[in-house]
This record gives sequence, C-alpha cells and structure tokens, in this order.
Amino acid sequence: MTLLSLQDLSVVLDTPEGPATVLDRVSFDLAAGESLGIVGESGCGKSMTALAVMGLLPDAARCTGRIDFEGRDLLALDEQALCALRGRCIAMVFQEPMTALNPVKSIGYQVAEGLRWHLGLGRGEAAARAVKLLDRVGLPQPRFSPDLYPHQLSGGQRQRVVIAMALACDPALLIADEPTTALDVTSQAEILALIAEVTAASGMALMLITHDLAVVWQNTAAMLVMYAGAVAERGTTAEVFARMAHPYTRGLLAASPGALGDILPAGRRLATIPGQVPDPQDRPTGCVFAARCARAAADCLPRPPAERVLAPGHAVACLHPHEEETVL
Amino acid sequence: MLSEARAVSLREFWLRGRGQANLMIGLAVTLLLIAVAVLSLVWTPYPINAIDIPAKLQPPSAAHWLGTDQFGRDVLSRIMAGARNSIAVSLVAVGIGAGLGVPLGALAAARRGWVEEVVMRFNDFTFAFPALLSAVMITSLFGPGAINAIIAIGIFNIPVFARLTRGAALSLWQRDFVLAARVAGRGRTRITLDHILPNIASLLIVQMTIQFALAILAEAGLSYLGLGTQPPDPSWGKMLNEAQTLMFLAPQLAIFPGLAIMATVLGLNLLGDGLRDLLDPRLRRLR
Repeated sequence: MTLLSLQDLSVVLDTPEGPATVLDRVSFDLAAGESLGIVGESGCGKSMTALAVMGLLPDAARCTGRIDFEGRDLLALDEQALCALRGRCIAMVFQEPMTALNPVKSIGYQVAEGLRWHLGLGRGEAAARAVKLLDRVGLPQPRFSPDLYPHQLSGGQRQRVVIAMALACDPALLIADEPTTALDVTSQAEILALIAEVTAASGMALMLITHDLAVVWQNTAAMLVMYAGAVAERGTTAEVFARMAHPYTRGLLAASPGALGDILPAGRRLATIPGQVPDPQDRPTGCVFAARCARAAADCLPRPPAERVLAPGHAVACLHPHEEETVL
Repeated sequence: MLSEARAVSLREFWLRGRGQANLMIGLAVTLLLIAVAVLSLVWTPYPINAIDIPAKLQPPSAAHWLGTDQFGRDVLSRIMAGARNSIAVSLVAVGIGAGLGVPLGALAAARRGWVEEVVMRFNDFTFAFPALLSAVMITSLFGPGAINAIIAIGIFNIPVFARLTRGAALSLWQRDFVLAARVAGRGRTRITLDHILPNIASLLIVQMTIQFALAILAEAGLSYLGLGTQPPDPSWGKMLNEAQTLMFLAPQLAIFPGLAIMATVLGLNLLGDGLRDLLDPRLRRLR
C-alpha cells in the first residue's frame, strides 16, 4: 500500500532577486514499511523535499502538485491538521544532533514531550515511556538518566535521543535528513544500524536523505538520485548501482572517496564533476545537467528529458544514458 | 515525579550558588534592602517626617547615626523609608516593562510579517523619546507624582524587553531544536512557551535586574528634578536634590543617599550576573 506519494511536486521560492525553482516536478511513491534513499549534492532539493512533506517550507515558498500521505493531500491541510500529523504520523531525524535538542530541557522531558502532546499521556506515564524509549535506542538506565541535559552527552548519544524522540509516537514514516553527516565514523555505522533496526522492527517507512552513495547502498531498498531540484535517476538500489545509467549518478559515484563493495575499488584517484549547479533563479530550459555533462548533445537543450524506463523498477531522465555495465 | 525533580534542583541551585561570591553578595545586599524596607513599615529610629529645627544639619552622632537634614529630620529614617519607595517603583516599572514587552517581543518573533512590523515600529516610536523626556511629558500631562513616574519608567521599559525578547527569540527560531519541535507537531504558541522562553529566561532575568537598577536610578533622577515622589515623602533622589545646595555645609546629606543608591544598584547587578551563571545549564559546573 502506498504510504506517501508525491506527484509533480514543484516548489518555487520568491526571493528579492526573483522566483527560484528549488523543486521541479518531483514524483515518487513510498510504500508502508519500505525504505527510500534520496541522494544528491548540497542544494539539489533533498532537504526541501523533506520539508515539503512536513509542510514546513519557508513562507516565501509556493508549492504545486500533490503530496498524498495515507490518502490525504498534505498541501490542502491547514496548520492545525498538519500539527496533529507531524510527530504523530511523520517523524524526522536531523543532521546536526548538537543543535536538534533544546539545551535547557532534560532529555527525558524532550522525549516525553511528544507522548504527552500527541498521545495525551500524563506526566508519570510519559516519563516512564520515555525511559523505555531511551533504553530502546541504546541509552540504558541508570547510566543515561532522563534527567541528563544534552550537553552532557556525546554527538552519537544525542542523535540516539533525537531518534528516541522521533520514535516516541510510533510514526508510519521516518524521515532521516543526513542523520550521520555530523557524526564520527564509528558512530555513523551504529546510528545507521539503529535506524535500520527500529524501522524494520516497527514496520516504519524510511526516507533516508544523504549525499553519500555508500549510505544508500547499505541501507535502503530503493533510491532516487536528485540533481538541481529534479529527479535524475530512480529505481531499486541494486538495479541503479548495477546500471548507473545517468551521467550524474556516475559522476557522483566516481567522486565518492570510500570503497563500495565490488562496484567501487579503493585507492583510486577521485574524480570531480566540472562546472557548477545551475542557479535556481536561472534554470536552463533543457536538461539541467547538460552544461556539466560529457554526453550532452544538441537534443538535450530544447526541453528537459522525460523519464525513460530502462528495466522494471529502473528509470532515468536522460536522452543519452550510459548503456555499458562497467561503471568506471 | 517531575515536581520531585524540581525540588531537588532547587536544593542543587542553593548548593551550587553558595560558592559564587557575586551571587551571594548581590543576594545579601538585595535581601538587606528588602529587610530595611519592610522594617521601615513598622519601625524607624525617628518618625520619617518629624521636623526638629534645633537639631538641623547635624553630623552623624550616636543619636542620629547618619545625621539630620536642614529640617532636623533623621537621615537614617528617611533612607530606610526611601528603600520602600525605590523597591515599589522598580518592581512595578519592571513589571510593566517585562509584562508587556516580553509577550510583544515573543509574538513578533513567532508571527513575523506585519505583526512584527507593527510591534517593532511601536518600539521605535517609544524609543525615539529619551526616557527622561517621556517621563517629563507624562508627568506634565498627568501631574507630578510617584505613580505617574512609575508608569513613565514602566513604559520606557517595554521596548527594552520587547527588543531583547524578539532578538533572542528570532535566533532561537532558526535553531534546529525549534524545527524539531515543529516537526514534532507543536504549534507556535506551545513552542514559544516550552522552548523559546525557557531558553531566554536567564537573559531576561539578567536584564530585569539591570532594569531594576535603572528604574531606581530613573526614579531618583525624576525625583531629583521634582517630577517624582513629592515632599514630604522620602525618596533617595529627592534627598540628593535637597542636599545639593548644602553640599559644602553638610556633605553627609548627599553621601548617604548616594551610597544607598550605589549599593542597591551594585547589589542588583551582582545578583543578575550570579543568576545568569547559575541558570545557564551550559555554565553549570559538573559535580
């Protein structure tokens, strides 16, 4: 069953310099209990997509298209209905655990807050549940008392608190926006494993936003590659990694420092993608990647390429996708 | 369970605060001021307004610890009663300022848009008149007197708190934990009460103690100009004013009220500093 469905979602920001298109007709479906990775470089619209689903876009943003969650169009809901939904049905984990917690409230209070608000639990009951949640995310008693304050915890421990807050009301969808970017390497693997484990255990759908292909490779069943606010390539993670049809996807992979299974060997020279992301106020009429693409031809310029299905569960928005299987 | 935790943390505050010299000195001075003011309600060495011309302008002695003024009134008694006046003025004036300014500032930060514009332009309008000038204006409109002086000082305090609250709240609204609270489904009012105000509470408390001190100074200034407390009621500023012409004849008349003002302002500032250190969990020393 489809839990979350985006149809032609476009977001235009009104800036003093004119309208800036940050999302351009983004569509995808996410079924209940499934996982989807969204990959792309900074400014490609990954976080904007998450904020749009949350209904927390800046005031200057204009949305068109549809966002259906459990059959309801989120863009048509008023603020009050969204407040009831946020945290209850859709929860979010942030990039920076150092700032995602209120410094003057104890961690127990912050985990219990959602329980009291959404589920109407009393203080005592919410506090008891908060202790259980902290235990669930690997912060056991009595070492991690709910009376601790965020500054008394390490980055990885704080991210666990943020995850506990997100899990509190047992949401149907968890959005993780670069949950490990600010953590050191040893905590990264632990936090990703924790997110994978808790979503699987409670049948939660996961939308994992990252710039790191390796994170997607290891953690999600399906993936979406975004570039300059548009979807470049999509499909099951296995299929996309096997084909790497869009030149941008290949460029992203060649620029990844780490080794990636048998797809990407270690110890190679890192590649860069020449050029820059187009200015969102001045987007090219054709393919947004054409200016940086080695395979671009004259037919890329008049209009954006439509998505083509290459194989079942694999589509690419490119007129000249890579055909060969070898990646590098 | 939570109220238990609160009781524990109050004791903790005391245990931690005991070691802070500035907090303890500030607290002692402030409590002394309150004690003196309360005492003056029931007892002063001499009646406050009892004129005794033969005993005028006496230097400090065993009978009059701080001497007497040009009407032979006991200076110690009048300073004690003046403390009452100062506390009342500063409490009410800061209460008006914070009571209206903090909600206005928080509203401006939470709502943005035209609400913010209206609030901030009102602030600019109030700020455009120097405090003393607007006090002069109000007292000349409604007549001089302690009440009008208090209202004037209170109105001047509103934009101070509104600006401080808005500025601090705006930067907090940009923080991830506020976004996290919004993602968790909290409305703007709940976020303001649960996340914004507790985070700026220490800032506000410090500002309040500073404004207490400034209000005492402002009342002294207004009374000095003859626009505040009216004779024969005692006020520190009024006493300074009357002492001015007698500076060389009886300097103690200026020195003692001056010292009272200075000690009070210093004590309140020390208290504010100490409270800031105590209330900020990031500055708390780990046991």
